Amino acid sequence: MTVALAALAAILMVPGASLYYESGAGAGCTRCHEMNASYDMWHGSSHREVGCPECHGGAFTPELAFHWNNASRVYYHLRGEVPAQIRIRNIDVLKMVERCQECHRQEYAQWRAGPHSADYSRIFTDKTHNTNRLLMDDCLRCHGMHYEGGIQELVSPLDRSGPWRLLRTELAGRPTMPCLTCHGVHRHGPLLRKAGVDGRVEGPKQELNRPSLAFYDRRTQSHIPVAALPLPEMLEGERAVRMSRDQRQALCYQCHAAEASRQVGSGDDRTAVGVHEGISCLSCHLKHGQKTRASCAECHPKMSNCGLEVETMDTTFRSAGSKHNIHWVKCVDCHPKGVPKKKENSQP
Amino acid sequence: MPRKNGPLKRRGFLEAALTAAASSSLVSCGRAGGGAYWRFFTAAEARTVDAICERIIPADDCPGASEAAAVNFIDLQLTRHYKKHRDAYRQGIAKVEEAARERGGKVFAELAPEQQLEVLAEIEEKHAGFFALIRAHTMQGYYGDPRHGGNREEVSWRMLGLPSPPVRGRVPYETKAG
Amino acid sequence: MALKHVNAVIVGSGAGGGVAAKELATAGLSVVLLERGKFHSPAGCRKDDLRNQRTSALGNGFGPGDERNPRVLVDETGKERIVLASEGGYSNNAACVGGGTFSYGAMAWRFMEKDFRMKSTYGAVEGSTLDDWPLTYDELEPYYEKAEWEMGVSGDDSANPFRAPRKRPLPMPPLPPNREYEVLHPAAKRLGLHPFDIPMLRNTAPYNGRGPCMRCRWCVGFACEVDARTGTHNTVIPAALATGNCELRTECIVREVLVDNRGRASGVVYFDAEDRRQEQTADLVIVSGGAVESARLLLNSKSRLFPNGLGNRHDWVGRNLQSHTYSGAVGLFNFDTYDDLGPGAQIAICDYNHGNPGLAGGAMLANEFIRLPYQFLDYAPAYVPPWGPAHKEWVRKAFRRTIVVIGPTQEMPIFEARVQADPKVKDYWGIPVARLSGGKHPHSIEIARFMAGKAEAWLKEAGAARTWRRQPSRGLSGGQHQAGTCRMGGDPKTSVVDKYCRVHDVDNLHVIDASVHVTNGGFNPVLTILAVAYHAAGHLAKTWKNTRGRV
Repeated sequence: MTVALAALAAILMVPGASLYYESGAGAGCTRCHEMNASYDMWHGSSHREVGCPECHGGAFTPELAFHWNNASRVYYHLRGEVPAQIRIRNIDVLKMVERCQECHRQEYAQWRAGPHSADYSRIFTDKTHNTNRLLMDDCLRCHGMHYEGGIQELVSPLDRSGPWRLLRTELAGRPTMPCLTCHGVHRHGPLLRKAGVDGRVEGPKQELNRPSLAFYDRRTQSHIPVAALPLPEMLEGERAVRMSRDQRQALCYQCHAAEASRQVGSGDDRTAVGVHEGISCLSCHLKHGQKTRASCAECHPKMSNCGLEVETMDTTFRSAGSKHNIHWVKCVDCHPKGVPKKKENSQP
Repeated sequence: MPRKNGPLKRRGFLEAALTAAASSSLVSCGRAGGGAYWRFFTAAEARTVDAICERIIPADDCPGASEAAAVNFIDLQLTRHYKKHRDAYRQGIAKVEEAARERGGKVFAELAPEQQLEVLAEIEEKHAGFFALIRAHTMQGYYGDPRHGGNREEVSWRMLGLPSPPVRGRVPYETKAG
Repeated sequence: MALKHVNAVIVGSGAGGGVAAKELATAGLSVVLLERGKFHSPAGCRKDDLRNQRTSALGNGFGPGDERNPRVLVDETGKERIVLASEGGYSNNAACVGGGTFSYGAMAWRFMEKDFRMKSTYGAVEGSTLDDWPLTYDELEPYYEKAEWEMGVSGDDSANPFRAPRKRPLPMPPLPPNREYEVLHPAAKRLGLHPFDIPMLRNTAPYNGRGPCMRCRWCVGFACEVDARTGTHNTVIPAALATGNCELRTECIVREVLVDNRGRASGVVYFDAEDRRQEQTADLVIVSGGAVESARLLLNSKSRLFPNGLGNRHDWVGRNLQSHTYSGAVGLFNFDTYDDLGPGAQIAICDYNHGNPGLAGGAMLANEFIRLPYQFLDYAPAYVPPWGPAHKEWVRKAFRRTIVVIGPTQEMPIFEARVQADPKVKDYWGIPVARLSGGKHPHSIEIARFMAGKAEAWLKEAGAARTWRRQPSRGLSGGQHQAGTCRMGGDPKTSVVDKYCRVHDVDNLHVIDASVHVTNGGFNPVLTILAVAYHAAGHLAKTWKNTRGRV
């Protein structure tokens, strides 16, 4: 009898907690102080019209684990075991991708088609990488930053001989860099200034920094808003590189980062020097797809000074095997004896 | 568009029913007087501690300990690693309030900054143990890692010009070569 | 059910135990390696500036925990108190796989020839048990080299004319100089000193399958997230496990070493991760728990034949607890010296290790490791008020403009600086805890004061606008460089182990860690611990006569 009653109470309680949170367009959520900060940030964000259940699930979410989690949160709350900071779990981050795309379909499609949607098996069981470099926890800083746990609980074996397999098979097809890598939904703040404040045209399709732009920092397990992220001052030898002030690039630099020497091209850095020096990453790389095809045409006339089509010149833009990296190509790479004067009739 | 405020308007019934069903302690932890929430401190104690912290690391053109939420750090840690200091805080705060009443006839947080400094100088002298404790904890809450509840928005690290998270790439290497 | 008998059980997986495990396992002995802490991965211990092995405001990052592992500290006035693991006075090193080498700064010094012959060099020092090692530098040199090449050391000491002779250079070059290096190097030259690049157990190039240092700001005290810093946890212990002959058991607290009725060690009793009492029998027992815990274990291993504990027939176990008397100076500059590049410590001089008039030794001086903001507060000078606007202003101004030069002064060991098993206080498992008592020899303080002056002179020459000294403390020395409690010597009456780290009166019991150090050099001791471990465990593997059949 007691057992039956307890079971009944449990069944009622489980969605009950979810319902309780959900009540009042999310205002119910704030009744627990551990959720206050998140609620306040959401309430000041561009998603403030999107209620908690739209993203987090609600009373009618047909998933027992979700309700169980809510119920246990209430339980811990009542016991006074208050977490220092509510942190989103990897599983929720991955679910969020699906919820984001319900509205942001185009962005989702672009991201899906681009390199930043690479999944766990592609990143962590790549033979070429793993035979050359050791898998380590630091990989997770940029790939799988939301993943809880260490590399040794994710991939096996951690050596160079392989064959490698994911220990968490459920992650195989899931993205390592989901929406919440570069977006903090709960982040608010003033709109940032438009890029290219020095009058430079950085690309006609630019838009304002969205207030949601934020990098998920694995170390502190929190989103750092883009305005607060450092934009490094890069060097080419001793020379300070002229850099676009487009603050959105600070997101890119978190992972496409140079070594401690801050030298252009070191580590994973792709700061433009040479003919493209001073332009923002986002002038060529579209945000969600990182696609650069057709981006040349945004600035270039079809023909270059020498009568070659810019897209067919010998650079990595045309072929990955080229020795002229599009990020660093200089005029003298092709004109070792000096750069010819601009032709009068070079306009198309 | 304004926030859809007022849960009672839209889901009033649901809300009321749930509130009734839920444990009363759930309700009691609601947002009291629009202020913050405390795990260990009473609202009054938190106000005092916050004011002490701010005198220890005051705001200038950079935020002080109050804006960095040092009190939140202390409150949180008093439920964790600093449980052992609970009595010291409870008694220490009482001493501060006692001294504040004697000097200004008000609670510490309402005294003028100069008077607060006088009170703290007295505490530093007469209750050196407590003062050393709250001084150290304020420093930790201000200069320490934000994950512990202080250094909100990494204000102190920004003041010191420490990029966070730092931009730091790894050296690409071929392990075969090594 | 009884555990399977093995050839060797090793207690502790730090610098000494890790190397011993690898040497014995590769020689074909079956080995059980017991560690009281966990096998951390860098991901399991995020960079926390208030909870790490150097700043333990919110607890130790890598053990031991506060709850179960108290110690008793008797101060100089004879007052005793219980200290928790994260509190000052505990003399903590670490409790995790790799021990101190998991989170240390990784300076990899060879001691100098005179460091092994302190008494012959300086004569007896009153009130000190100063003595020569039974080992010479020349005997240990091949093992220093083995440690450097097998584990991987970077740096360049070719510009150090005081270094002991080496047959082979270091396997990896030093890191490019940081700003502190650039400021201090010419200044040292102007003073006629001989600055050079600190040797470090840190990859600066791919080595042993691990990549190079990325120079982050979370170095000493933290786990290395790119696994560029070298400890036993990512070198010899994996190598030992890979032989298939070694089993690592973590979270195992050893209560005592068992002896049979012939007076030979027969194994250990320990509590496993579930607090179950286990008995692991072995042909060989190797104690590698660090100077405090190794001594405590021997003292707690009492039996009819050894009523005062193992190896303690002449009351030398736990004696001569020493470490280093750190001192130095801080310089405030009118220009930025902080460049956010770890590990920070890069430049050193050995001009003052020996030959200081009237002083029995000295120290290496080096710039300090990179400092995080909270840690930096500790370097504030006396003229800055401890709180309020002036303090904040000072931190703000000085954080990026401060260089610290410090050095580990070689200590004069004293008999009364000691570890005992406390008669009353027991830990969580009911084992008597370590009772620490004693202080420093006055001459250690005198040398350290001298070193602080030299550090200050160097900073002044480098252009510091203001300087202040970091004076040595008088209290008992222990901490991460703890050493000396199971002295190595030829005479069983005045030492605990022989030159191969074997306990004098128990021929199958060894102590392989810094406990055996007679003196601790004017250097960070890890490379010497590793070299002695290679020497002792290598010798043991070669000479051990199999009694029950090797695996």
